[in-house]
Amino acid sequence: MKAAPFDHHAPETVAEAAALLAEFGDEAKVLAGGQSLLPLLSLRLTRFEHLVDVHRVVELHGITRTDDALRIGAATLQAEAEHDAVVAGAVPLLARALPHIGHFQIRNRGTVGGSLAHADPASELPTVALTLGATFEAASVRGTREIAADDFFTGTWSTALAEDEILVGTRFPVWAGRTGYGFAEVARRHGDFALAGVAAAVALDADDRITRVAVGMLGVGATPVRVGAAEAALVGTVPDGAALAEAARAGMAALDPADDLHATAAYRRRVGAHLMETALGAAIEEARRG
Amino acid sequence: MSAPAAGRYVGQAIQRKEDPRLLTGHGRYVDDIVVPRMLHAAFVRSDLPSARITAIDVSAALGLEGVSAVFTGADLNPGAGTMQPSMMAENPAAVVAPLTPLAADDVRFVGDPVAIVIAESRALAEDAAELVVVDYEPRDAVASMEAALADGAPLVHPELGGNVASDLALPEDPELEAIFASAAHVVTERLVQHRHTPTPMETRGVVASFDPVTDQLEVWLSTQGPHEARRTFARVSGLPEGHVHVRMGDVGGGFGQKFFTPREEQTVVLAAKRLGAPVKWIEDRRENLLAANHARSDVATVSLALDADGHVLAAKLDHLEEAGAWPVGGTGGVGPFVAMLFPGPYRIPRIWWRSRVVWTNTAGRGAYRGPWMFESVAREQMLDVAARATGIDPLELRRRNVVGDDEQPYTMATGMTFSATTSATTLEHAARVIGYDDFRAEQARARAEGRLLGLGIGLYIEPTSTPAATLGVEAATVRVESGGGVTVFLGTAAHGQSIETTMAQVVAEHLGVAYEDVRVVQGDTDRTPFGGGTGGSRTAVIAGNASREAALKVREMVVGVAAHLLEAAPEDLEVHDGVVSVRGTPVRNVSLAAVAAAVHNAGTGLPPDVPRLLEATGRYQTSSPTWSNACHICTVEVDRITGQVEILRYVVSEDCGRMLNPMVVEGQVHGGVVQGIGGVLYEHFVYDEAGNPLTTTFLDYLLPTAAESPRIEIDHVVTDGPNPEGVKGMGEGGAIGSVPAVVNAVADALAQVGATVTEQPITPVRVVEALEAVGA
Amino acid sequence: MAEHHIRCTVNGQARRGIVESRTTLADFLREGLGLTGTHLACEHGVCGACTVTVDGRAIRSCLMLAVQAEGATVTTVEGLAGADGTLSPVQQAFMDAHGLQCGFCTPGFVMSVTAFLEANPDPTDAEIREGISGNLCRCTGYQGIVEAVRLAATRRRAAEVGA
Repeated sequence: MKAAPFDHHAPETVAEAAALLAEFGDEAKVLAGGQSLLPLLSLRLTRFEHLVDVHRVVELHGITRTDDALRIGAATLQAEAEHDAVVAGAVPLLARALPHIGHFQIRNRGTVGGSLAHADPASELPTVALTLGATFEAASVRGTREIAADDFFTGTWSTALAEDEILVGTRFPVWAGRTGYGFAEVARRHGDFALAGVAAAVALDADDRITRVAVGMLGVGATPVRVGAAEAALVGTVPDGAALAEAARAGMAALDPADDLHATAAYRRRVGAHLMETALGAAIEEARRG
Repeated sequence: MSAPAAGRYVGQAIQRKEDPRLLTGHGRYVDDIVVPRMLHAAFVRSDLPSARITAIDVSAALGLEGVSAVFTGADLNPGAGTMQPSMMAENPAAVVAPLTPLAADDVRFVGDPVAIVIAESRALAEDAAELVVVDYEPRDAVASMEAALADGAPLVHPELGGNVASDLALPEDPELEAIFASAAHVVTERLVQHRHTPTPMETRGVVASFDPVTDQLEVWLSTQGPHEARRTFARVSGLPEGHVHVRMGDVGGGFGQKFFTPREEQTVVLAAKRLGAPVKWIEDRRENLLAANHARSDVATVSLALDADGHVLAAKLDHLEEAGAWPVGGTGGVGPFVAMLFPGPYRIPRIWWRSRVVWTNTAGRGAYRGPWMFESVAREQMLDVAARATGIDPLELRRRNVVGDDEQPYTMATGMTFSATTSATTLEHAARVIGYDDFRAEQARARAEGRLLGLGIGLYIEPTSTPAATLGVEAATVRVESGGGVTVFLGTAAHGQSIETTMAQVVAEHLGVAYEDVRVVQGDTDRTPFGGGTGGSRTAVIAGNASREAALKVREMVVGVAAHLLEAAPEDLEVHDGVVSVRGTPVRNVSLAAVAAAVHNAGTGLPPDVPRLLEATGRYQTSSPTWSNACHICTVEVDRITGQVEILRYVVSEDCGRMLNPMVVEGQVHGGVVQGIGGVLYEHFVYDEAGNPLTTTFLDYLLPTAAESPRIEIDHVVTDGPNPEGVKGMGEGGAIGSVPAVVNAVADALAQVGATVTEQPITPVRVVEALEAVGA
Repeated sequence: MAEHHIRCTVNGQARRGIVESRTTLADFLREGLGLTGTHLACEHGVCGACTVTVDGRAIRSCLMLAVQAEGATVTTVEGLAGADGTLSPVQQAFMDAHGLQCGFCTPGFVMSVTAFLEANPDPTDAEIREGISGNLCRCTGYQGIVEAVRLAATRRRAAEVGA
């Protein structure tokens, strides 16, 4: 099980990386941590003539916090983000989701940007990014641009990044006030891709009324999805258990999960609604304590 | 019945001789072998389940720089000998599919090897394999037994005229029908056990080197049986056995998959012989999942008739076994074994059975830890079905039907006779350790809270060291070296079973030397006596007693020489820790080193009646199986929302006779149990209806991890086995009892809300569907 | 087909080699450097048998290219025991607790557990099971391995108290 031949390139700046992508077009692929790309290459399920390896690009590494956003450089290791106090303080939902990615050996090599750009619909970071409305920073020889999370995930393993673009960093909004977060998923085994999962964030006013709520799901569509119906049912309310269950039911009803080898669509609906209730309940509980 | 005392070494949890090298990366597995001029092989495999090959174009592949050869069936099949294992090759009545080194005229499952590419590196060989163009005319395939048995179904092997490989049944039995007609209770279920694959962590692999000058074939192999491999390679290549030398180093697990010598390894040998250059083939994981032998895949309709008190009166078993396209080993033999063993440890006075083996366009079935274990799955599930139908507690129902420890030898209605087992005792022990009555109370409390707990029992007897063909015999040679060290040469060879350790314990014990001074040599056909290989839970009984006999023979030689040196009568001497001394006068002694020096030094001038040799071979032959037994009980909680099953506690009470090394015994139990659990809850090799495999990576074929595995509590019942060493064998049992225990526990949990599950694997989806079917 | 000259430090020694772009670190260690203790059991990043540490982090060497190890410090299972063969505390615990049978997955487990205990010196049983869940074993049912990790952790803490 050996990959087909390719050329490895190791640029040291974003500009060099972008130039390589511009030169090789669809024959090139960005290699970040490689934890998804290398298995696909070894299994010969995909192939590229050129890999543009960005792990030596210093400007792609690092975590910075401003008042209203947390920026994570694309080549930052998942393990670094997982154990970073700034991340945990600014965007607790990220800290909750990160340990669910594979196993620690994977997170020791996998990058935040790599996972986002790979855009697996059952993976955690894209779901968190979509749920919180993150902003993606892309660069190419044509210049730089920002892409909103709502526009970023265009399909299974596909994003709004153009062939010649590289993901440079991602800014996650920092929620202020009485906020709480929940993340829950069900997988066949520990560390497997989730059959279904939920990321939830809420903000409450002084009377425990929900002023802001974001719910995202993984494993129930071709991309990570925002569950607008659940959000709409909850915002402006002080939900009890029954209202949460109803919001989860309404949220799930608006989605269209698929059958695959490991679970049926019906199973995903059942478990998805339950996970949504669990994650939202945990988020609200946390916000009320805060 | 007695509980034998542990010896100085036998019975002790001694640390393993294997461990230091394996822990430091100094083990030597087949992929670690490098020989000069070695080339690397990759197979071109069919991506269709059934098709006629219309053309193969290898020119582009041959044109790639660094490619030495591309062989197809046209190159390697002519002149190849039979590829069947000895027990089939030497049995004229065996039904075998027409296996050739490479598929030539047609392909019969996805993964069928069509060509072998040989190149400077594995990566290059894979590059070239992609360039081999095979034109196919696709045919309809049968990917399940149901499809294969349908009227007008396409034939997997047209030469054989049908998709049923064998169909054996007892004659119709009116008396049995009368019992069923008048019984107080009759229960019938259709039970399904799905397709697994053994998945040793080390895939298969071989390095083959042929010297055309000396006509000598050298093979390094990942195998469970080097001597069987040598015979197989000799048959397929046409070389005399003496021209074939097979070596195995460390082997990373087999679980049956490496017991016989599979097709690809034989094909690599033929390619190396033809090429005259050493060739290495290391199977990759996708190939292993796709094309190495699969296992299980059984369906049975089972009926039990019981009287009003829950005594089983009679049973009917209609069993289907899926063979795949190219089964490895004794297909047509496993099915009847399932039927013959179906009564297990219970009094089932009358039985009727039918056993059919069915070809399908899928990977071939082969041995896997307890190949016939579906008998326990079927029987133990049916006893729980009967318990629910009669309202008798499942533990109590088993108590009423189990054959008592003092009622043996006992002959089953199928004609199998077992003896010296302790099923009734292990049943009580396991129930006591799990806290049976307390659990039932806890289960009721949980039920009141809306939670579903369950308990399952798996009680079985395991025929170990079954004497099929060459498998009833092992030999061991023990030699005292010139410096006094001891070497043991074993015909069998380990792939994880700690044989270097346990056989050294046996020899140290009976020869009277220190364990540290004993070295075990295995896995080399030029150095070791013939042996059947490690499998069938046969090593402790057969190799253990052979080693014991060899050690005792050498001890007698040592004593004979020492008697001369000490001027004492042999019967007055004892041997401990490598020192021979006069009983009661320990200062009169001579070391084993001095004894060895006396024998090896011509100047010593031993008189004619004193042994001149410190080497002997022990040979142990068995003519009937030895029986070991165990009771597995586990408790589970079923998540009513997600359908996930959590194992709460897992208890094994087992009797494998005298334990050579309790640490090793427990390790075997742990591993077997988790394999069984994995099979019930996670592992499933899936084909779609067209015959395309869907689980060819470890992302889809789900092995259990530590996070899914329970802590296992073991209770040992130790009674003497019917052989000099007192052992009973036990390697496979963990994987037998665990399956019914887990299945029954889940069924017990679901039964509280009226839900049922009779089909494996028990996935979260299946559990949820069972709950939803009854509105729970 | 691009080839690269690479230099890295492996088990404390400066090593170099010539690799294809596509050569994984695992294949370079095994074939380029003859360090065959690192095993390949899936080559697609699931089983953990090929685990080594790179710059102190445990990673799967089948999911890293050899060329990416340029300048890195790599430790393999061959680098754990003392020069005289003295087993590392984790290796010794595996031996004492029967944490291995066929031994094929063992190097990956030993490397993962060594790194795991560095990060979590006093794990609960549940943390141990989660911590080793990225490594597959087919022989032991994990029980001996869990015992070994617990034993190694206990000894490690005792050694620190004693030091």
